[in-house]
Amino acid sequence: MSTREEKDRIGLLQGTLDLLILRTLLFGPAHGHAIAKAIERDSENVLQVEQGSLYPALHRLIKRGWISAEAGTSENNRRAKYYRLTAKGRKQLNIERTKWEKLAGAIARILRPAEQ
Amino acid sequence: MKRRKRMLEELDQDIRDHIEMETQDNIERGMPPEEARYAARRAFGNTALVKEEVREVWGWQWLERLGQDLRYGLRMLAKAPGLTVVVVLSLALGVGANIAIFSLVDAVMLRMLPVKDPQQLFLLSSNQTKPVRGGPGYSGYGISLSYSGFERLRQQNDVFSSVVGFVPLGFGPESVTVNIDGQASLAGGEMVSGNYFAGLGVSAILGRLLTSEDEEHATRVTVLSYGYWTRKFGRDPAIVGKTIALGGAPYAIVGVAPPEFFGVEPGRAPDFWVPLAEEPGLTPWGVQPPKGQSFFTAKNWWWLMIMGRMKPGVSREQARAGLDVWLRQTLTGELGLSEAEAQAFVIKLEPASRGLDNLRVEFSQRLLILMGVVGLVLLIACANVAALLLARARARRREIAMRLALGASRTRLVRQLLTESLLLAAAGGLCGMAFAGWGARVLLLLMSGGGALPLEVHTNLTVVGFAAGVSMLAGILFGLAPALGSTRLNLNPALKENADGGFDKGRTPRWSLGKSLVVAQVAFLLLLVAGAGLFVRTLMNLEHENLGFEPRGLLLFGVNPAQNGYEGPRLISLYDRLLQRIQALPGVRAASLSAYPLISGWCNSAPISVEGGQTKPDENANVLWNLVGPDFLNTMGIRLLLGRGIGDHDTSTSARVVVVNQALARKFFGNLDPLGRRFCFGQLFKIDQAYEIAGLVEDAKYTDMRGEAPMTAYIPYSQGGEVGAMHFEVRTAGDPAFLIPSLRRAVREVDSNLALSELKTQSQQIDEALVEERLFARLSSFFGVLALGLAAIGLYGTMTYSVTRKTNEIGIRVALGARESQILRMVLGEAFALVLTGAALGLPLALATARLVASKLYGLKASDPLTFSLAIGLQLAVATLAAYLPARRASRVDPMVALRCE
Repeated sequence: MSTREEKDRIGLLQGTLDLLILRTLLFGPAHGHAIAKAIERDSENVLQVEQGSLYPALHRLIKRGWISAEAGTSENNRRAKYYRLTAKGRKQLNIERTKWEKLAGAIARILRPAEQ
Repeated sequence: MKRRKRMLEELDQDIRDHIEMETQDNIERGMPPEEARYAARRAFGNTALVKEEVREVWGWQWLERLGQDLRYGLRMLAKAPGLTVVVVLSLALGVGANIAIFSLVDAVMLRMLPVKDPQQLFLLSSNQTKPVRGGPGYSGYGISLSYSGFERLRQQNDVFSSVVGFVPLGFGPESVTVNIDGQASLAGGEMVSGNYFAGLGVSAILGRLLTSEDEEHATRVTVLSYGYWTRKFGRDPAIVGKTIALGGAPYAIVGVAPPEFFGVEPGRAPDFWVPLAEEPGLTPWGVQPPKGQSFFTAKNWWWLMIMGRMKPGVSREQARAGLDVWLRQTLTGELGLSEAEAQAFVIKLEPASRGLDNLRVEFSQRLLILMGVVGLVLLIACANVAALLLARARARRREIAMRLALGASRTRLVRQLLTESLLLAAAGGLCGMAFAGWGARVLLLLMSGGGALPLEVHTNLTVVGFAAGVSMLAGILFGLAPALGSTRLNLNPALKENADGGFDKGRTPRWSLGKSLVVAQVAFLLLLVAGAGLFVRTLMNLEHENLGFEPRGLLLFGVNPAQNGYEGPRLISLYDRLLQRIQALPGVRAASLSAYPLISGWCNSAPISVEGGQTKPDENANVLWNLVGPDFLNTMGIRLLLGRGIGDHDTSTSARVVVVNQALARKFFGNLDPLGRRFCFGQLFKIDQAYEIAGLVEDAKYTDMRGEAPMTAYIPYSQGGEVGAMHFEVRTAGDPAFLIPSLRRAVREVDSNLALSELKTQSQQIDEALVEERLFARLSSFFGVLALGLAAIGLYGTMTYSVTRKTNEIGIRVALGARESQILRMVLGEAFALVLTGAALGLPLALATARLVASKLYGLKASDPLTFSLAIGLQLAVATLAAYLPARRASRVDPMVALRCE
């Protein structure tokens, strides 16, 4: 079914999407479409997020109390649902980030000798 | 619910907004609107799937899905009512049969006694490792102990918090003469210690139960069982205080036991309980003590069964050790055995939470065999249902392919299909429960062989749990294969199929799942059908067994006048009078009496020592003997070969004579003339106890139907020592049943207090002896026929499918000149191949299984080739029937239609 070109774009690791959403919301509340766009833009289009898959992740984060949802108006004056990072979410972002850096560092250390 | 709806709407809105924004973005980037919208949708992905995933995050997804699946499943089942009915019925049959047998297994093998804390109860018994002179004489089941020993245990022990004693008042189920308002009848009772009910923790539902004072003062009071109170007194609430005669003595009814309390032995429910006391009419085991002795003081008569409630904190090993001391003291103190001799006895402590296990020992093997039979039925039913569902799943290929294409996950679809199967299983299970309630009653009747088996079979939590478990297991078993099979699809061709039966040309597997199911069914079926064949032929062999006497037109009944005070010469003269009255009745051709009726399972057995014979008698050569009245051999139709039979002139004062059969004569005298020779019972020949052989008769069966006739000696009943209860044999001119009223009247005229026991024809007696064989034969053939029917449906379905699938091929063959008969042969050949493959797989399994029941067979081997070939032949015949219609349809295919069929 999926024979699209995926040479330079990377699918997301399980759970990384949560981290990216939290990180995006650090700059202030945003609606779903904006979050998707921000992730694409900030990763310079390397990370490919199927936009729909954002929503299960958003609802998962709401359920855990890391973000909250509220009604708002978008830049072109349309009503949309805005997602906002909670205090708990902010703390979680730090934890997740540390975890991620440790993991990335470990993987990098493992891979490095093989490259030499 | 409302909240959920609102949340769903919001989610919808969010997604719409998202796509709208993306579209706008795209338009701004310069895409034409149409393309912009399309690109936005593609970037978003599968909206239905996203919604589903979000709902899963919300959590009540599984419940929601279950509701959906159930609703959808019900709709699908309602759409195919025929299939649903067939599936539910075959499941009801399979599950119901299993529940019916299991409810018996539960009643006999699993259920706890309905008393307080049954797991604290233990039954005391002793084992003897070698014979000891002067040791205790056993009565009953070898688990009984002496009364004096019981008293000492009751007064002092550190093991049990309470000790109760009990003993039946006879060996048979009904052995006590009861007289209620001048009407004599028989009932079964138990004599129990005063603390019996209190110790077990049972309380009365009416009046009171027995107490220790009752035993102390030997008051003549009795407690009725709920069943007896119902049967005899119509649950009269004013029964307390009424007096009835038990064994000739008046007893006051003081109370009624609760309905669930059947005593402590499953399958043997006493009608009443009386306190332990010395009574002339009511004796332990219904046995008269030796002259001048008393069961209650005799130290070497061990007849009382003892159950104890273990104190909390005492381990079983500690308890056993403590009781061992008590047993040794009893043996050396009371019986005067030496320490070494006492070592031959070992005390045992059996858990009695489920009561005494006589019924368990007798029935558990039967029940397990039946459980196997019905297990097979369920397997066959499951395979059949699986085949039917598979056929339907094929019809739903397009629907399933569509749903897969729309993004439904395979797990989700499998779950959906399994929910449908479980719905079917639940419906089948519920119908099966109804069917089982009725089936268990029929089974109980079949198992007990006419006489009612007082066994409480009811639906309790265990049975319901079992039913639910079996149904669900069946549901998964028959649902999984079709569910997995039908969701493993190649989508493209499946979607291109016509909705109404075009077929996938791409891949036509020679060996489909449906065929495997048919093969499995045939294999299991062979097991069942061959087993049924073995059991039926065993029954036939036994029914045609040469008995050596004429069983038809013979009426039997027993009397026990000792309970009414008859003994010695008075008893013998009573028997004489009875016999004369009966012989004088119109319609009676001959009549006699014997200690045991034939084929009753009872006999006397002892080694004999022949005058002038070997000094060391053969240990294995036990002779069975029966005490008989005058004219017995003639009445029974046992043919006299030499000498004379037993006659009127053989009395307690005349010379002691015996009539022997050929088997005995052959063993001890070879070809020599046995007449006039003498032997006596026991290890030593003593001339004053010897019997002289006066006649030789043809071999006849004695205790049971199986095997060679045993060595048998017939002794005049007045010459055989103690005379006790006897059975009469009455040879009638017409139907024996017509004689019953006049027979009862005749006995009442001689003594109105005599109760007739075990009144039945000899044919009934034989039927009772064949209960087990008949049970196996009937049930296995009943289920065999049903399973054959099921298999026929399954095969018919599979063949129809296979033929439709091959319509094209058949059309080509016909177009190329194949004749009708050739096509017919081709289709039938395919069905035969399936059956023969199944049979080939089932045969080794069936042969191995048959060996497990070899001991239940008679007159044929477990690997009987005739039975097995018949079973396979029968399956082929059924296969021909089932495949004929589809085959004929195939052979009449119009080649033009067939070729256009794609």
